[in-house]
Amino acid sequence: MMAALQMRFGLGRQSFVGGFILAALVILIGLIVMAAAEKAQIRVANVFFVNLILVLGLQITMGNSNVANLGHITFTGVGAYVAGILVAPLAIKATGIPNAPFGLNTFELHFIPAAMIGVVIGTVLAFLTGLVLTRQTGIAYSIATLALLVIVHTVFTNWVDLTRGPIAFYGIPFKVNTVSLMLIAAACAIVARLFRDSRWGLQLRASGEDVLAAEASGVSVKRLRLVAWTLSGFVLSLGGVMYAYLVGTISPKSFYFDAVFLTLAMLILGGMRSASGAVVGAVIVTLGTELMRWLEGAPVIFGAKMPQIFGLTGFFLGVVIVLFMALRPDGLVGDEELDEMAKRLWRQRKARAAAGEDTGPETSS
Amino acid sequence: MDYVIQQVLNAASIGGEYALLALGLAIVFSVMGLVNFAHGEIITIAGFTMYALFIFASPTSAWWLLPIGIAAAIAAAVTFERVAFRPVRNAPATTGLLTAFGVSIVVKNFFVSVVGATRPRAVPTPDWLGSQIVIGGVHIQTLQLLEAAVTAIALIALLALLRGTNIGLAMRAAAKDFNTVRLMGIRANQVVLAAFVISGLLAGLAAVFIMARRGAVDPFMGFSPVLKAFVAAVLGGFGSLTGAVVGGLALGVAEVLFQIVLPDKIAGYRDAFVFLLVGAVLILRPQGLFGRKYQFGDKEG
Repeated sequence: MMAALQMRFGLGRQSFVGGFILAALVILIGLIVMAAAEKAQIRVANVFFVNLILVLGLQITMGNSNVANLGHITFTGVGAYVAGILVAPLAIKATGIPNAPFGLNTFELHFIPAAMIGVVIGTVLAFLTGLVLTRQTGIAYSIATLALLVIVHTVFTNWVDLTRGPIAFYGIPFKVNTVSLMLIAAACAIVARLFRDSRWGLQLRASGEDVLAAEASGVSVKRLRLVAWTLSGFVLSLGGVMYAYLVGTISPKSFYFDAVFLTLAMLILGGMRSASGAVVGAVIVTLGTELMRWLEGAPVIFGAKMPQIFGLTGFFLGVVIVLFMALRPDGLVGDEELDEMAKRLWRQRKARAAAGEDTGPETSS
Repeated sequence: MDYVIQQVLNAASIGGEYALLALGLAIVFSVMGLVNFAHGEIITIAGFTMYALFIFASPTSAWWLLPIGIAAAIAAAVTFERVAFRPVRNAPATTGLLTAFGVSIVVKNFFVSVVGATRPRAVPTPDWLGSQIVIGGVHIQTLQLLEAAVTAIALIALLALLRGTNIGLAMRAAAKDFNTVRLMGIRANQVVLAAFVISGLLAGLAAVFIMARRGAVDPFMGFSPVLKAFVAAVLGGFGSLTGAVVGGLALGVAEVLFQIVLPDKIAGYRDAFVFLLVGAVLILRPQGLFGRKYQFGDKEG
């Protein structure tokens, strides 16, 4: 089977091993938190896992194609609203959205089909918007992703009958816990890693280095960007569903610039060119914002809301982005996945040790 | 007739504001390939400087706030360049864009946390900016007339600068090939500085008009107009100066048209409709109205 995968997708053994190591790391974080932490910290960890899913989703498109994407949270919002509205109890809908279109207030779904519909709609929307977006290149592409975010945000805010508009939509049953979030985040880490290492990911990364050279070598950059955009839409809307099930209350504001900025900062800090970078960035930024929150003396966490990035915390995150762009644009992890880095260091050490044995006496004499 | 003139002026003033901002974005982009996401924060800084001046110096006339606001905008643009953008000048476009994004967040949160400005703060502007004049029986807001006029004057002055001076020639050449410009003995820093001074000046003008219309500052005020300016610039063809102006005006016209034709019930969707329209134009013409038809891969990291 491995050989078949290698043939079909260009995936080698190390991709799978590395993916599982990364997933194991994510699960380890979850286990440690569950074993040792208090309730408030477990909430932080839950939000961390949702954010990690979003960062991984962003990495799939932005990290591989190396073009800034500022509208990814669009699909998170779509996933969250679709699943949230489908799953909300009838009593809640009767008071919250009595005039819901399409008879949405006449039924409630089990949370699993609701999640599936949310993810499917998010993914289909990603594919359709991707058809248009991938016609754009470079900067126009980035601006277009931003315009997409604004358009969908405008719809969330104005379609009062469906979403309650700017007021929060509440009453979504809590359906996820640390275990399920951690497992899904781990699965997304594997997906991101495998995509990065796959034939498509490799070609896309080549186009990120030099579009012309990649095109000249027969890489269909537009098509690959569409594939990455759609896959990323899948992961991002899944993250949105998880967010809705975790928090129970969603509003258009949850899926706007604060979230874009937070996930972007995480990815940049960790290094957008690898799935490991997404994980590392999410961990460090979460620890950093919790530290800042503690320094600011604000209450540690209210409910399980997405951390509000305001004031001092936001200020420092912005500074981190600027400094990293100037000094270390590839982020902490850089080009290699963690396992690749470990392997390289191990080999170098061995080589040095071997060289030390062979040539040591000569150089010293 | 009154109504038509009023709406035309509406479109011209809104479009003019977008054109001023889009021009600032385009000139910086064409010279150094930077997508300046922090452009909106130049407006915010100008607004807060006017606010600070009003609070601490309590000038006798609100007149003074206008030139100070514009000067602050220029200073802000130049400072951004020196502190944040110079280190990433030769980096790929994405790096510059994200740097600018970071700068924008730093400035916003600076005002939120240090100034503590979580709610809008009132800033006075001269009374005559809010007055109306009557020309041939038609009531016209001075502000709108002024906005359209200043945009036109700024455009002509910019054109004169670009066509008639050495630095203008250098900037136009830099848009084509910066290295050759440097080989001709022009300092890169000078050209970039000129681009930022101009973009700051244009943003400062826009800031004054925005302040006159809103009458208050808050840390997030710069975002929405600059987002429109970005869309305008993309519509016109990113980096093209003509495109920026035409895109800005077209966006203004589109906004006013949608404002008129959309029924009240869906008026809130105006921005979504405007952006969708722009999207439709870009499907037909991906390079924008005035953009160079470029191959996939040009100007891309």
